[in-house]
Amino acid sequence: MSVEVRNITKTFGAFTALNNVSLNVESGELIALLGPSGSGKTTLLRIIAGLEFADPGTAQVLFHGEDVTNLPASQRRAGFAFQHYALFRHLTVFENIAFGLRVRPRATRPSEESIRQRVTELLKLIQLDPLANRFPSQLSGGQRQRVALARALAVEPKVLLLDEPFGALDAKVRKQLRRWLRKLHDDIHITSIFVTHDQEEALEVADRVVVMNEGGIVQIGPPHEVYDRPANAFVFNFLGNVNLFQGRMDDGLMKIGDTELHVAENLGTSVSDATVYFRPHDVKVSTEPVGQESIAALIRHINLAGPVVRIDLERADTGSRFEVELNREQWQGIDRRVGDRVFVDLQRVRVFPTDPKAPVEDFSI
Amino acid sequence: MERPGGHRRPTAEPPWVRRLLIGVALVFLAIFLWVPLAAVFAQAFAKGAKAYFDSFNDPVTFAAVKLTLIAAGIAVPLNLVFGVAAAWAISKFNFPGKSLLITLIDLPFSVSPVIAGLIYVLLFGAQGLLGPWLIDHDIRIIFAVPGIVLATTFVTFPFVARELIPLMQAQGRSEEEAALSLGASGWQTFWRVTVPNIKWGLLYGIILCNARAMGEFGAVSVVSGHIRGETNTIPLHIEILYSENVVAAFAVATLLTLLALVTLCLKTWVEWRAAAESQTAEAE
Amino acid sequence: MAQRKTSPLPGFRLTLGYTLLYLSLIVLLPLAATFLKTATLTWDQFWTTVTAPRVLASYRLTFGTSLLAAMVNLVFGLLVAWVLVRYNFFGKKIVDALVDLPFALPTAVAGIALTAIYAPNGWLGKPLAALGIKAAFTPLGIFIALTFIGLPFVVRTVQPVLEDLDAEVEEAAASLGATRFQTFRYVIIPMLLPSLLTGFSLSFARALGEYGSVVFIAGNQPMKTEITALLIITKLDQYNYAEATAIAVVMLVFSFVMLLTVNLLQWWGSRFQQPH
Repeated sequence: MSVEVRNITKTFGAFTALNNVSLNVESGELIALLGPSGSGKTTLLRIIAGLEFADPGTAQVLFHGEDVTNLPASQRRAGFAFQHYALFRHLTVFENIAFGLRVRPRATRPSEESIRQRVTELLKLIQLDPLANRFPSQLSGGQRQRVALARALAVEPKVLLLDEPFGALDAKVRKQLRRWLRKLHDDIHITSIFVTHDQEEALEVADRVVVMNEGGIVQIGPPHEVYDRPANAFVFNFLGNVNLFQGRMDDGLMKIGDTELHVAENLGTSVSDATVYFRPHDVKVSTEPVGQESIAALIRHINLAGPVVRIDLERADTGSRFEVELNREQWQGIDRRVGDRVFVDLQRVRVFPTDPKAPVEDFSI
Repeated sequence: MERPGGHRRPTAEPPWVRRLLIGVALVFLAIFLWVPLAAVFAQAFAKGAKAYFDSFNDPVTFAAVKLTLIAAGIAVPLNLVFGVAAAWAISKFNFPGKSLLITLIDLPFSVSPVIAGLIYVLLFGAQGLLGPWLIDHDIRIIFAVPGIVLATTFVTFPFVARELIPLMQAQGRSEEEAALSLGASGWQTFWRVTVPNIKWGLLYGIILCNARAMGEFGAVSVVSGHIRGETNTIPLHIEILYSENVVAAFAVATLLTLLALVTLCLKTWVEWRAAAESQTAEAE
Repeated sequence: MAQRKTSPLPGFRLTLGYTLLYLSLIVLLPLAATFLKTATLTWDQFWTTVTAPRVLASYRLTFGTSLLAAMVNLVFGLLVAWVLVRYNFFGKKIVDALVDLPFALPTAVAGIALTAIYAPNGWLGKPLAALGIKAAFTPLGIFIALTFIGLPFVVRTVQPVLEDLDAEVEEAAASLGATRFQTFRYVIIPMLLPSLLTGFSLSFARALGEYGSVVFIAGNQPMKTEITALLIITKLDQYNYAEATAIAVVMLVFSFVMLLTVNLLQWWGSRFQQPH
């Protein structure tokens, strides 16, 4: 069952939550809507569910080509899992899952026997069959979210919508549950859209990631693509740790401090303000300069805990601070102390024009 | 915002249902609350403003007002001190039987005011348990001011405590512990930390306690003896006036009605202030 | 008292001691005296007193009108709470504040005001009389007075629960295909049930003991419009202390049962609370 939204605009008073958004989700896909809070991702999800309605106009929501724009939530058959689970606290786990079947009109309501069968099936699927008679208050957070998912699946929804499904869980349970969700999706192949502000979660679980910012879609693509080829500075920034060097760009030559870098991007022949973006692990560190593009820096702090070594550096020319990550073998080849001088070669950089509005991320404290 | 074509949020009812519900609720409130409120003033001014103001020109009315002020003036501070002490013990400490104690504090609310008066008659009346001893020592409690004060204290007993207990329980004791660890004494901690935290709840409790103290009828009626100019509070005075001079009865009743309206205004204001303060606290 | 110190804060002995002393002096000992006084009656005398036809008639009237008033308050209290929480309309703040009027207005004032309105020549008594309905000085009048004084209980117990109700839960029901009415019937009402029943019990308990607002509008005819609280006063006025006390004990026992009910309901209501 494919899902398509066209020209969705949603305003709350003076605030524009969504600005003319269109999106196509293929049948059986698992899609992540990724963005910071206020980017409009939850609003988009709620509009697909029918819990919210887009501003009137040319806005359309299509389920498998069928226009459901004007259908209320109760008739869309979109399964929705809420961030705080929204379980019915007066009903047992069993009755929570059975709810959607029991409220069907008499004509289409399954028999008591088939309700029992369906709920038992789902309880097995979420591995909670021994807890059927518990109340939600007697379950852990992770168990509650699984019940919420089973409840949404019970009505055989055309599409499964999940709003920050793991947002309220602690880090460890979150990791377990998102693998479980991926596996569940591989088993039942229901078209699913989930909202998250956690890039790691989106990149790990989704078939495709939709990056949103300020009420619009910034980039759509498979996880490796958005990570490796971010469409703009925002995406680069949002998808992981990043270092920034401000500088000036002149016909393919990027001047930062005393160093000139040859970069792939050509922002035009005219001289312009530009910013170099690179990830902390996309660097080579050596004790001697390798070439013209090596940047001299002083070690300010070394963190040896964990699988990678994190080093805070201060550029010798401009004094700006940045962070690099090396694996342990690489570090053993260098083995310098705080205060020593090293040379850094940037392996993979992206250059974007400096946005005068964007706040400069400054790592110097 | 209503649009055709079922564009309604799933947590909202159709406009006609909403209007119907609001309409029925308002008609119900009008019949049972607002009309009686208006009737008090309409009856009081039924024979004009002069008759209304003449009603107060009566020494017996003054005596009733005075007695009501005395009764409330004693009962409210007594229950205030009790309420704070009880809330302190219950909210800041753990001890067995705590929930039983809370239930017992609420007890006077579930006792009919008539019975509240009766228990003091049975204790202090001429035929009561302590009656003979009191007569020997020439102490009058029943059919006298002490009885009225006692009955008023009983019926207003839980007001301050039940306002403060949940509030102070929710606030916990970490702030007090912090104050003590910084070297404050017990009293300093109470006045500088606890009182500012509970001031709105405290004020609210006092307001409600006072309204009930000044308006109590049943309990006071049993212990008063209805001696004109001596043991009649305002409500009892209204009862007597009602059989003699309806306008005067309603005129005096407007005093208590205005007190009730002021109470409701204060209550709304206190709630508004408390909400505003908690919002600022959250925003910070 | 060998109380283990559970808190570093001072004042435990002082405040608890004062609380217990004051509670005993003002409430517990006088109440106990009432039961002592009843003990001066033999069981037979007690039973004859509390089951005399006039007393039984007063129970029937008091219970019947109180129950009816509490039920009306249950329905309309929920409606008023719903309208105040969910909808916006002109003057809502004032309407909300005035709900507490029966708490703040002295019962005697309410009594004479209601009597004036529902008397045969009153604002509402006249149209009712034209329909052949007599309100004041009949059980209907008692019911009206008891509805007035019990109204805030249901509203004020349901209102905060309704305010805290998570909108997500209603959205979940809708997304599972429930109609608005089904959501109300199977989700909202069950979640409000403990508070509804608590409000109902409080309203009922208050009505059972009410005196001031009823005595003016009731008519106070023995066997017909005489409530139990009034009967106690009548016995007292006749210096018949033993009988007054016997009837009072019956009412007290019932009050305690109601108090227990309310406490059990609150315990039941906290059963589903999710620890957040």
